[in-house]
Amino acid sequence: MSNKHLFSSYDLLPKTWDEMYNNSSVFRSQYEEFIKYLEKTSPEKLTKKEDLSKQLFMSQGVTFTVYNDNEGIEKIFPFDIVPRIITGEEWNKIETGIKQRLKALNLFIKDIYNEQFIIRDGVIPGELIYSCPSFLREMKGVKVPYDVYVHISGVDLIRNSDGEFYVLEDNLRTPSGVSYMLENREISKRLFPGILPKANVRSVSNYPNMLYKKLKELSDKADPNIVLLTPGIYNSAYYEHTTLARLMGIELVEGSDLVVKNHFVYMKTTNGLKQVDVIYRRVDDDFLDPLEFNAKSVLGVAGIMAAYRKGHVNIVNAPGTGIADDKAVYIYVPDMIKYYLDEEPILKNIETYQLGRPEELDYVTKNVKDMVIKKTDGSGGYGMLMGHEASDAEIQDYLDNVSKKPENFIAQPILRLSTAPCYIDGKLSPRCIDLRPFALSGRDGIDICPGGLTRVALKKGSLVVNSSQGGGSKDTWVLE
Amino acid sequence: MLSRVANNLIWLDRYMERGNGILSLLKVNYYANQDSPELFSWTPIMKTFTNYDNDFYTEDPIACIDFMVLNTKNSNSILNIITKARENARSVQEHISRELWLCINNYYLYLTNKDLHKKLEEDPVHFLEDLRKYHLIYYGTSDITQERGASFYFMNVGKFLERVILISDFTSLKLIDIGNTSDALEKSFYWKNLLLSIGGYQLYLKKHKSTFNEEHVIRMVFQDKLFPRSVYYCINKLSRHINELIETNELEKNNIEFLLGKLESTIKYTTIENINNQGLNNFISDIKEDIRNISLNINAVYFSQNN
Repeated sequence: MSNKHLFSSYDLLPKTWDEMYNNSSVFRSQYEEFIKYLEKTSPEKLTKKEDLSKQLFMSQGVTFTVYNDNEGIEKIFPFDIVPRIITGEEWNKIETGIKQRLKALNLFIKDIYNEQFIIRDGVIPGELIYSCPSFLREMKGVKVPYDVYVHISGVDLIRNSDGEFYVLEDNLRTPSGVSYMLENREISKRLFPGILPKANVRSVSNYPNMLYKKLKELSDKADPNIVLLTPGIYNSAYYEHTTLARLMGIELVEGSDLVVKNHFVYMKTTNGLKQVDVIYRRVDDDFLDPLEFNAKSVLGVAGIMAAYRKGHVNIVNAPGTGIADDKAVYIYVPDMIKYYLDEEPILKNIETYQLGRPEELDYVTKNVKDMVIKKTDGSGGYGMLMGHEASDAEIQDYLDNVSKKPENFIAQPILRLSTAPCYIDGKLSPRCIDLRPFALSGRDGIDICPGGLTRVALKKGSLVVNSSQGGGSKDTWVLE
Repeated sequence: MLSRVANNLIWLDRYMERGNGILSLLKVNYYANQDSPELFSWTPIMKTFTNYDNDFYTEDPIACIDFMVLNTKNSNSILNIITKARENARSVQEHISRELWLCINNYYLYLTNKDLHKKLEEDPVHFLEDLRKYHLIYYGTSDITQERGASFYFMNVGKFLERVILISDFTSLKLIDIGNTSDALEKSFYWKNLLLSIGGYQLYLKKHKSTFNEEHVIRMVFQDKLFPRSVYYCINKLSRHINELIETNELEKNNIEFLLGKLESTIKYTTIENINNQGLNNFISDIKEDIRNISLNINAVYFSQNN
């Protein structure tokens, strides 16, 4: 049965790049194979597939729990069955762009915690670094293996109306979402049997092996004890922690499972203490060591930083990497690339205004309807003002707040996030998306898994893709 | 193995075993209650198998089963037990087989289905049997997918510890009824009911035909070597799995070995006359006390070296 209605109400957004249609409303070549499949599939069948995907997520336990009135409600991260498809050529540019960026960012972190040439040469103001809450004095002069600070990163990209990919955020601390990259692919295999090889989609299933290899080479032992440190079952990414531990065959530990003795880290086992060599931590810097950071933290391990500084344990990512993905430091990344690598940035930054500068604050205030204003230390889409949809009162309120400490805020023009087709109520509709590829850095360079997490704003017209605010995800197909 | 993981594995199987026991007890009592509600009332069951401060009692079968299975305020309800079992399983996913995780996760999802109460009202027996099937699948999945190693041994320690406790509790429960009557026929109903609850009635018939002899029942429930739900069988298994753990250095000897050995021989060599002389009730409370000590000793192993 053919399915002509599927495409009947696909209303392209003005001035927006669409991943499936080109400017003359013709299908882009990367979607051809998948569209052939869609055209011969009835809406009933597609809806069934949508239900099946929900069921699969539930039964595999790919869920997070929302606690309300002491009652935990199991939720799945909304999943749209239509994959987002990227050509090999587009991917090459993304890949080289991210590699270049990470190389510079890693050099920057090393520099900042050691000689600080970049400050001395006047490329970045020192006061910006020192006033940044994610700058860790505890990391000054600490030697890390192979000078790699950021082992795992998830750079957020968006595609603007010009068709170019722009970097929205470099997530260099403990980026999450990689389990959804893996799980979404598993679901696609079930939903669309035979289509992936026909469309020449590159596999993502090697990610856990790649990650394990990077973790392992940080230790000089032949069989190091590697663990994944989780904040525990109440963390919304707990599913991801269990999955990665299981797929790598390493132990999933909580802070209370670890203890530091004589500057070595041990885990408490049924036959005594066992030394830990590498910790892939999914606990934020602040909570890592109650002796050095947040004293109230029960998620971390007392004394772990001292053990780390002595080189007795490896922590991944290194503490203090947040200095390089701070929203105020972001502005300087193109300068870093020129400074450290003497290269032109391959991936562009989004134009960003620092509200600490009076003339930029003035410009932003005048054009506030076209701006999104963010706190430099916020995340997850909270504490943000979207100028085009806020009321005058809300804008005034927010600007009053800004005027108290303008240096804590930045602004960016409202972006036209590209749209991709989503299966909604029996038809395809365009929705805004972004892309988070996952990169692994180690002794032998940087590897990027050909795929990633495509987040999608499922609400019509919305630009916010965060899962905490009605966002969902899609499988991401990178073609050969 | 991480001490926390060992602890969670033990409790995973304890909860699964407890769920299976309670479901079986409810089903058997439901049948018996249809025949003679005056002999097989619900209140004693609710007293023994809910949280200690429970003050809700009912003689309405559906309301009772609903409370025992689906009520979230009853900390020992099947729903709550399985929720806890699943949390334990979730935190040790890298130690249990994928199949076992899927099995328990699907059980949990089935239990949290909003329409489940309707099924209970339609046919309580079918409702209870459907739930019990998940436990049977769990046992089978564990047996054929879990490698024989520390995880498996710890899970089995939990399973057999809990099973001994359940058998003891079921028996104590019936002994109260038996003590309250001098009618031989009535007594035989209670003994039969006990056998049904622990799943040994069929074997009893095979061995002793349809004649109810108190001593035969006691021997089967406590001393039978081949009946997988006898106290002796469970202690035997418990001891085997604990020895495996000691041999692989997962567990310190302490005096667990001694306690187990003592309990094993007490059960094996106590004659029925001896049991009758001291009273079955006292015999059971001695077993429970020993089991409690064994359990505390296992706990001590993972708490002592942690600090």
